[in-house]
This record gives sequence, C-alpha cells and structure tokens, in this order.
Amino acid sequence: MAKRPILGLFEDANYAAEAGDALQEADVSQDDYDFLTDAPYPEGAFGEREERHHLYWFPFVGALVGLTAGILMTSMTQLAYPLVQGGKPILSLPPMAVITYESTMLSAIIFTILGIIFESRLPRPKMGLYDTRITEGYIGVLVNVEEDQLPKVSALLTQAGAVDVVLENPEPAAA
Amino acid sequence: MPMAFGIALAVSGLLLGLGIIGFAIRAVSDGFGAHGPWGYYAAIFSFIFMVTGAAPLAASIFRVTKSHWRRPLTRVSEMFSLIGIFNILLFIPLMFVLPAFRNPNLTPLAENELDLRRTIWFEVPIGANAPQWLDLLGIACLALCALVILWLSAVPDMAQARLRATGFRRSFYGVLAGHWHGTKSQWLNQKAGLALLGAFYFMLLVFMQFTISSDYAQSLIPGWKDSIFPVIYTLTGFQSSLGLMLVILFVLRRWGGYKGYIGISLFWSASKILLGLTLLWVYHMFAFGITYWYGRLEVEQNILKYLLFQSYGWLFLANLIFSFFLPFLTLLWNPVRRSDWGPALAGVFVLIGAFLFSWRIFVGAFNAGDVYNIGLEHVPAFVGPDLWDVLIVLGGLGGAVFIYLLGSRLIPMMCVWEIKEGAMYQHMGTFMRGRYLVLAKPE
Amino acid sequence: MQEGRVLPAKEINRDLLRSILTTPNWYWVTVAVMAIIVLGAMSAAGLMINRGMGMTGLNRPVMWGFFIVNFVFWIGISHAGVMLSAILRLSKAEWRRPATRAAEVLTVFSLMTAVMMPLIHTGRPWRLVYWVYTLPFVPYDFARGIWPNIRSPLVWDPSAIFTYLTSSILFVMVALIPDMAVLRDRTTGIRHQAYALMAMGWQGTPRQWKLQIISGILLSALILPVFVSVHSIVSWDFGMAVAVKSWHSTIFAPYFVVGAVHSGVSAVVFVMILLRWIYGWENYIRHEHIDALGRLLIVVATGWFYFFVMEVIFGFYGREADEIAVREFQFTQPPWNLWFIFFTGLTYFLPVSLWLFKWTRRNLWIMSIACISVNIGMWLERFLIIVPGLAQKQMFTFTWYTYAPSAVEITIIGGTFAMVTLLMLLFSKVLPLIPLYDIKEGDMLKTEIKIGRATVPAVFRED
Repeated sequence: MAKRPILGLFEDANYAAEAGDALQEADVSQDDYDFLTDAPYPEGAFGEREERHHLYWFPFVGALVGLTAGILMTSMTQLAYPLVQGGKPILSLPPMAVITYESTMLSAIIFTILGIIFESRLPRPKMGLYDTRITEGYIGVLVNVEEDQLPKVSALLTQAGAVDVVLENPEPAAA
Repeated sequence: MPMAFGIALAVSGLLLGLGIIGFAIRAVSDGFGAHGPWGYYAAIFSFIFMVTGAAPLAASIFRVTKSHWRRPLTRVSEMFSLIGIFNILLFIPLMFVLPAFRNPNLTPLAENELDLRRTIWFEVPIGANAPQWLDLLGIACLALCALVILWLSAVPDMAQARLRATGFRRSFYGVLAGHWHGTKSQWLNQKAGLALLGAFYFMLLVFMQFTISSDYAQSLIPGWKDSIFPVIYTLTGFQSSLGLMLVILFVLRRWGGYKGYIGISLFWSASKILLGLTLLWVYHMFAFGITYWYGRLEVEQNILKYLLFQSYGWLFLANLIFSFFLPFLTLLWNPVRRSDWGPALAGVFVLIGAFLFSWRIFVGAFNAGDVYNIGLEHVPAFVGPDLWDVLIVLGGLGGAVFIYLLGSRLIPMMCVWEIKEGAMYQHMGTFMRGRYLVLAKPE
Repeated sequence: MQEGRVLPAKEINRDLLRSILTTPNWYWVTVAVMAIIVLGAMSAAGLMINRGMGMTGLNRPVMWGFFIVNFVFWIGISHAGVMLSAILRLSKAEWRRPATRAAEVLTVFSLMTAVMMPLIHTGRPWRLVYWVYTLPFVPYDFARGIWPNIRSPLVWDPSAIFTYLTSSILFVMVALIPDMAVLRDRTTGIRHQAYALMAMGWQGTPRQWKLQIISGILLSALILPVFVSVHSIVSWDFGMAVAVKSWHSTIFAPYFVVGAVHSGVSAVVFVMILLRWIYGWENYIRHEHIDALGRLLIVVATGWFYFFVMEVIFGFYGREADEIAVREFQFTQPPWNLWFIFFTGLTYFLPVSLWLFKWTRRNLWIMSIACISVNIGMWLERFLIIVPGLAQKQMFTFTWYTYAPSAVEITIIGGTFAMVTLLMLLFSKVLPLIPLYDIKEGDMLKTEIKIGRATVPAVFRED
C-alpha cells in the first residue's frame, strides 16, 4: 500500500516535539516524519534523526578541479606566448599563482553551492504536502504513513496539540 | 615539586648557564665592535622577544572580545610578562653592536655609498649614534606594562592564596595583594585597568616590533626597503605566541592535572585563530615576494636571492613549511582542530617556523655587508653557527623556559577568578529536546 | 548585546517584507530621480566614447584619474559584505544578524559598478570583444602586431573580480532561499511563480536548515580568502609598477584590503541607518547593533592607520630623491597638502574620535556623519595615491600637466553613486534586505541567566 503524507500544524514548538515523541512511540520510523519550520532550530531540538551529509567533499573536489584548470590554463597560455617581458621567465610562477588561486577558489565555491543544493535535496519540482502557515511561525510535522494509518496519526497529532491537521494542499501545486 | 618539573627546571637552568658561557666567549673573542658575529645572538633575542612579547597580549585581546573560551588561557598568556625582564637583559649587548647612523668612511664618499644609513629615525642629527637607547626604553616599558598587567590580573588570586600559603609565599602574596578585598569598586577598577593597559600594551608592542624589525634587520641589509616587513614580523610574533600557549596548555591538560579546567573548546576556538594567522602570514609573505619579484630591480632580485632563494633558500623553504604548510594542513581538518593534540602540534610547527624566520632574517641581516651601501650589489653567502652561537641559542631558549617555570611556582597557572566568573556565565541548559551551552553576555 | 524584545514570526514577516509587499510614494520618486542621474551618466559616457578620451581631464602623464579612483573606491565598498557577513558568522557574533544581507547585497552592486569603471576608462570598451571571442587559449595573436603582456597584473584583475562577483552573488542567493520561501507563501500570481521558482521547493526541514547553516559558515570561510585577494590584486595594479614612485610598496596589498574594509563597513553602517529610517526597522536595526559596528570600526580604522603609517614611513625610509619628491608633493604643495589634511582627518581622526564614546556610537546622526566622513576620506585616499604619483615628473616624460577632472568624468562618477542607490532600492522591492530566518533564529535562541539578583542576557549555543 502506498504511503500518504499528513501534516500537523503546531503553534508551540514543544508540542511539535511531543508529537515527534508520540510518533516514535507509535513505531513510526524517524525516516517517515519531518519537522518543517521557518527558522533553524538547534540540531536535536525536536529529538529528530541525525542528518548525515557529504557537503565537505564538494569544496575539496571543486578546489582540485579549479587548481588543475588554473595550472593548465596559465601554463599553456604562457607557453603559447613565448615573449620575454621585463626579464621574467617564460613560465613565471607568481603570475600563474594568482590566476590559479582564483580559479581554485571559484571552482571550490561553485562546487560548494552545487553541494548545498544537492545535499538539501533541492530543487523539488513537486513540493508535496505543505502549508503556508509554516513560514508564519507554525511548526509542521509532516508524516508519511500507510493510508490505513492516517486516522491514527491524525488523532495522535491532534492529541499532541496540533491546531490543524492537513491531508491535501489547499491550492494546486504551490511550486 | 613533581620530578618532571624539577628535571625541566634543572635542564633549562643548565642551558642558561651554557648560554652565558657562550656569550662570554663570543664577547671576549669578537668584542662589540662589529655586528657580524652577533647574528645568532640577535636571532635568538628576536625569537624570544617576538614570541614572549606578543604572548601577554592574548589575554587582553580575548578579554576585550568577550571570548569565554579564553579563561584557562589568560594566566598562561600573562605569565610571559616575566620573560620581559630577560628580554631587557638580552637586548643590552645588542645596543653596542648596532652600526652608527653616520658613515665612518664619509670622506671621500665612495660611489654608491650613503652618508647616513637608511633608518626609520629620520630627523636624527648627523653626529648621532644609533637609537639603541630608544629601543631599550621601549622594551623596558613593554616589560613593565606586561608585569603590571600580570600583577593586576593575579591580585585576586594572590589575595585568596595568602590565607593558605606559608613562609615566603605568604609574605610574597601579602605584599602584592595586601589591598585587595574584592569590593565592587576594586573589581570595576581592575577590569578597567586591565582593558586600558591591554590597549596600551598592544600599541606599544606593535611599535616595538616595528622598531626592532627595522633597526636590527631591515636597516642592516643595504637597499632593503620593505614596508610590509614589520607587519610580517608582528604576525609571526602573534602566530608563534599563540602556538606556544597551545603547547603549554596541552602539557598542562595532559600532565599538569588541569584537564577539568582546560576544555577542548579552548583548543577548538584558539586553533581557528591560529589557522587565520597562518593564512595571514603566508599572504603577507606572498605580497612581499611578488612585489619584489615583479619589480625586478637589481637590489630586489639580490635580496630575494639572499633571503629567499639562494643563500638562506633552504631556511626559507623550511620556514615556509613550518610556518605555513604544516600548520595549515594540520588545522584544515575540523576533527583535528577539535582535539587537544592537533592545535598543540600546529603550535610546535609554528614555533619552529618562527625560530627559522628569526634565524634567516637576523643572521642574514647581520652578515649582509656594508650597511652604508646604496643597495645589495651581490648575494652574500650563508653564515652558519659556530659552537658559541649554538650555546648562545640554547642558553636563550633555556633562560626563557627557566624563568617561566620559576614563575609558575609562585603564581597560579590558572586565573582562578576568571574561571569562577566563567562558571557563572555559562552552563548547559535544555532547549526542547536537546542540551546546549547557555552563554551569558555573548560576544 | 541583546536589547529589544522577542518578536513573533508573523510580525517579523510583516515588518521585514513591508518594503516588498507595499510601495510608499517616496519610493518611485526616489527611483525616478536616481534613474535620471544614471541616465545622465550613461549619456556622458556615451558622449565620451563617441568623441574620445579628450573629453576627460586625462592627459600625459596622468592617464589614470577619476575613473580608476572610483574603480578602487567601489571595489573597496564591496569588501563590506564579506567582512561583516563572513567574519561575524565565523565568530558567531550575535549582532551580525540584521547587517549581513544588506552588506552582501551592497557587495554585489558596488562590485558591478566598479567593473564598469575600467571599461569606461578604456575609451573603446567594445575592444573587449577581442578578449572574448578568441578565449580561452588565444586571446590575441602576434600576427595582429599586438604583443600582449599576459603576465600583467591587469590580467589578474578580471579573474579576481569575476571570482568575487560570482561567489558573492551565489552566497547571497543561497542565503535567500528560505526567505524566498516566505515570499512564495505570501504572494500570488506571477510573483508567486517567480519566488516559488527561486525557492526551489524549500520546506524548512531539519536537513535543509542544517545545510543552510553549514553553507553560511563554509561559504564564509571560502569567500574570505577571495575577498582578501581581490583588493590585493587591485593594489598590485599599482604596486607592481616600478616607474611610478610611491606605488612600488610591498605593503600595498594589506593596506588596500584594510582600507577597503574600513570604507565598506562604514558604508554598511550608513546603509543600515538609512534602512532603519526609511522602513521603520527600529526593532531590528537597533542602537546596540550600530554601537557594536562602531566599536568594530575603531579597530578597523586603527588597523588601517597602522598600515598607512607604515606606507608613508617606508616611502621616506628609502631615501630615494624621486620618491621623496612625490611625498613632498603630497605633503607640502597646495592643493595636494590640503587634500592630504582633509583625507587623514576625514578618514581617521574625525570618525574615530566620534566612535570613542558610547553615546556618540548610539546617536544615529553622529554615526551617519562619521561613516560618510570615512567614505569621503577614503575616496580622497585613492585619489592621493593615484594622481600625485603620476603627476610627478617621471623619467622619459617629455610633457606633463596636472590633472583636473572634466564635467564628463564628474557626471559619470556621480552616476555610479546613483546607480548603487538605485540597485539597492530595486533589490529592496523584490527581496528582503534583512534575513528573516536569521532574525527569527536569534530571537529563538535568546535566553537569560540569573546571577544572584541580576538577570544577564544569554544565548543557547550548539557548541
């Protein structure tokens, strides 16, 4: 049976955390529910699962790519113009270093940005179940459960203090 | 007294004694007429001055920035004030070897010679000698200011200790902390005094590092006009002093019984600053190198060959490795920064780097030839140490360690009042489902 | 460092999105005035390009004038963003929160403006096409009779500025994603579609927030070395030249960087005071923030002054007659000496004496005066670095005039100030100039510690 989303909205973050506890007690896997907020709560504030990521690899790979490109571009350009200027060697390292440094950093930053987007699982062409009240300070508890579990989870969220429980987006595809 | 401490004290005392012998033999055999033979002496003075002069500043700076993690570090930093006296003693012989402003071979003036050597003391009368007394005055003021900071910071701790101490220590603490009762106004005055003296010390230190690096290094190499050098010298001082403090804190944490006081957060926070200083160091070096490399004036090329690529080339390479590559590659990794050994290891690297820096620059400067020449016309050779130089270097290092160790017997290595204050301002608190640090008066 | 009250998210949204969701009358009037000035400057530039560089006051030997001064000035202003945003993020300074976005945006727009200056200065900007259509490997070829200096520091400039501009734009855009989501949820129609596209489906899950926070720190650490390199490279445009006395100084790179931070942070403070005033953001840009920035500026200004003193001292230290002649030109000959006095007074002595006291740091009028003073002074500084060095008689110079800017140059320079203002105003109409989530996070983490009878403000920290 396919899983369906259900979204509980809480005015108080503590109630949302309690809903998380209740879901855990009800044997809902931590991978099946998320807390949607309008500000970054400290890690672990909701007792949520620990998120693992590989973002730190991206700048390193990017830097390596940029370094290689920079070295190749500057050295090949200098060799392509074998013209002595001011007594400087044809293959001059200091001017190479400047351009190579910039290309390394640029590539590292671009890779980091790509990494952030990728690791954040963005872009999401279909947003799924969502409520605009979340960006007004409400805490959303988004649960994915088997269809037959929906009433139980809905009751559980309401019991924990949800001011509203949403099953469908009020308007078609927000994003 | 623990045995390891006793051994360290004895060894450093022995080294100091050897250094005194080396110094005496150097003075007798070469006299103070020429500055060339004193290159290694100047290098070790520079190293000790650079590191220990900058060290007391850490306490002041991190107090101003309200960095809570500083608390176990402040006394370790302020204790370096004691070495200020050693710096004065080390400096005195150098006063006699600095060449005069006026060119002694003035008439007739040879081609490519200056009547006055290049110096930062512009309006000096033609007949005046070099400004050694001004440098001495500055170093003495610096030492005095640092000692007052140490005293002011240690007063509350000594007042506490005087009740429990016996014998000499009791009277020592009694005299130094006699007036302290911990009233509100005393605390306010103490904090204001520490802030003001810290600011004054900072300005004086930067000025003295500028004068020492100019008078005893730059002005001795003909044609070396390098406005960034005093900044590099100051940065090397900041970097190496922070490195040394991390080494001391590591020793205290591992073997000194202070594990409960010196947390990993200190190493983590300080290591980020050490990484920043390391990057700044290499950036300034690059700014110097590329300007000279690109200028391509003969004098610039010769200075680059002398200090960076030929005569002292291998020392420069080692300097670069220890001051930049090794600490950078060590501190780049967050898990390493978040340990006690990682930052301490980086500290060892930067200390070695700073020593190589002083060696390269000061031995190079003291042996660069005629200071009245317009520019460096050829590339002088590398000058290695003789036995007496080795003794002098070991003696300088031993002397500094000896004084610091002695000081640690008298003054508590942890700033007790600041640690107590820190305990009031931070604790672990619960926020929803997690436990986090609650930090009062955040920066 | 924690004044002001904790605000509910709804109120934060309403206050900080007011500039986007509502349009006061003054807005379009100001936009129109700025647009007219920009158009005037564009016309002046068009006239100059059509008639030739003779329309400017540039002449042998002063071939770098107001355009290059203005280029360095705007590059300097662009250093505010990263300085505030990155350094304060890395040091976890709580008071950074309302300042970061405006600073980053100012970086982007001033950098864009700066890039235009050398293009206009070339006189024939279309010739850039030679760089482009044959890139990357053969920008010019020898057959054209042109002997390009591929090791020139002028080649470094575009690479550094391109890197910095790209990085800054990406930095701003990534930090904007959560705020775009807020706007997506508050708008309808085509605006909703546009914000939804840029928000990329942001939901605000713990994973997304974690990555957002890490990205702030990681990108800060990566952009900081780029920001240092940019102004260093700009300084090397001058520093690598041996021929112009007073330029070939090893300290130029850090001296320029610190000067840039000085002028940039002052500009950000002024922009923040303006934002507080025009949008009524008293609850967000509070006196404590301006006070903290004032204290930071004392440190930055004094650092700059140290580098300035080193630069001047070592100008004399060399005891080279032609360099001392340039210095004497700067210090003793009118009108340069008067400009020099103005420059040091406006850049350091006046503002720092105003920043020394808490009550002056918390007086927004005084802070505005001090920050404008810094920027006038820093503009003069660049002028006094570039022009006197060139105006002095050089070897092989057979003719020389002093430099006076023409009306065309002054109009174009005026236009750049209007352009940055215009771009900031347009930005404020589409995106928030204060990061909403950062303010919300700051409010959420606020707490207190009881020490005896005293209540001390505190924050929760994750490490």
